[in-house]
Amino acid sequence: MYLYLYDSFLNSKKYSRFLAKTETRLTDLGIGGKIFRLSPLRNVNELLAEEVRNGARTIVVVGNDKTLTQIINLAAKFDVILGVIPAGPNNKLASILGVTDAETACDVLAARIIEKIDLGKVNNTYFLSNLTIDGGQLTIDCENQFRIIPQGQEQINICNFRPVFVSPAGQTNYFNPRDGLMEILIQPLKTNFWQMFKKPAALSSIIPFKKIAVRSKGSVPVITDGQKIMKTPVEIEIAPKKLKIIVGKNRMF
Amino acid sequence: MNKHNTMFKKEMGSDEIETIIGPSVQVEGNFVANGDVVVEGMVSGSLKTEKNLRVGEGAKIFANITAANALIAGEVQGNIKIKENLELTSTAKVFGDIKTKVLSVSAGASLSGKCNAGEEKKAKLEKIEDWEKTEKQKTKNILPVNGEKI
Repeated sequence: MYLYLYDSFLNSKKYSRFLAKTETRLTDLGIGGKIFRLSPLRNVNELLAEEVRNGARTIVVVGNDKTLTQIINLAAKFDVILGVIPAGPNNKLASILGVTDAETACDVLAARIIEKIDLGKVNNTYFLSNLTIDGGQLTIDCENQFRIIPQGQEQINICNFRPVFVSPAGQTNYFNPRDGLMEILIQPLKTNFWQMFKKPAALSSIIPFKKIAVRSKGSVPVITDGQKIMKTPVEIEIAPKKLKIIVGKNRMF
Repeated sequence: MNKHNTMFKKEMGSDEIETIIGPSVQVEGNFVANGDVVVEGMVSGSLKTEKNLRVGEGAKIFANITAANALIAGEVQGNIKIKENLELTSTAKVFGDIKTKVLSVSAGASLSGKCNAGEEKKAKLEKIEDWEKTEKQKTKNILPVNGEKI
């Protein structure tokens, strides 16, 4: 049984035609289901718990990256299959999963290619794509064996998916959410005029890992999937094959 | 040097995940990797990989190194143990002992320490034990059933 979760911004009038078209397409494909509209007043956790008890096995998020990252923790908790129908702006995660627009998404849901992918876990909170730590004097303890100390002003990304700013050429083996590893990507911040012309790959460090602890002198903000903000110290580990997700043929992994 | 470098690039171009330690990063402790490793920054402690290691020109390593193959263009202070091929480029500076199967050194490289390159001999004790076992088996086979010697 399918359960469709609509983000609250879809209540706007400009999306009514889009929703009607998508719902018709889903019914034509025979994958219609229950629809719930998210709102700040509704407790999604309770709602999902009840629906899973009643037999819902596939949850489809209709919204953007923000909606998807909100649901990730619950999908991992309830062990359900997750699908995505992109709506509105900011749908980078959906395009990584091989779902470019709503029409393609309906076909992808009908084809039902299910991949088990890794999730990142930071202090008991799951994240799908990446985690960003800007600046600050940091030390990263890896697997209790060695310590990484960035020397200057660096931007640190902990990646499960390939970051948008990294070109795929020559780095095909990295950033695969099915390999049971995440990558630490350390890139110097471009403070100098001449650094603008240097190739970022020549200066960056990429270190695969399973478990790390990030500490800093003061507290430094840690941003998960560009949404939720935490503070150091944090412990980050990989949760291998934690999420079952419906993907398209054109997925980027 | 270029010829050797291109040869090494082919070896390094496997499907394994590569670890890259960039010039702005320092690593302390026992660094262990399963895939290829490229060091452009600083490493202290020990460095171990089952695959290939490349130490860049600006890299500084204060560690004992263990790897399958290695190309060194930077500075290493520590012992180096390589299973197969070790290549020191003209900019390499090594302060420590080297043990490898095949060693190639470019003009200009500096090496200060013991150097052991080539195949290892089989230990003498093992050879003698093997010979004694085969001799014992031979004498057992010669003895007849009623216990009389031939």
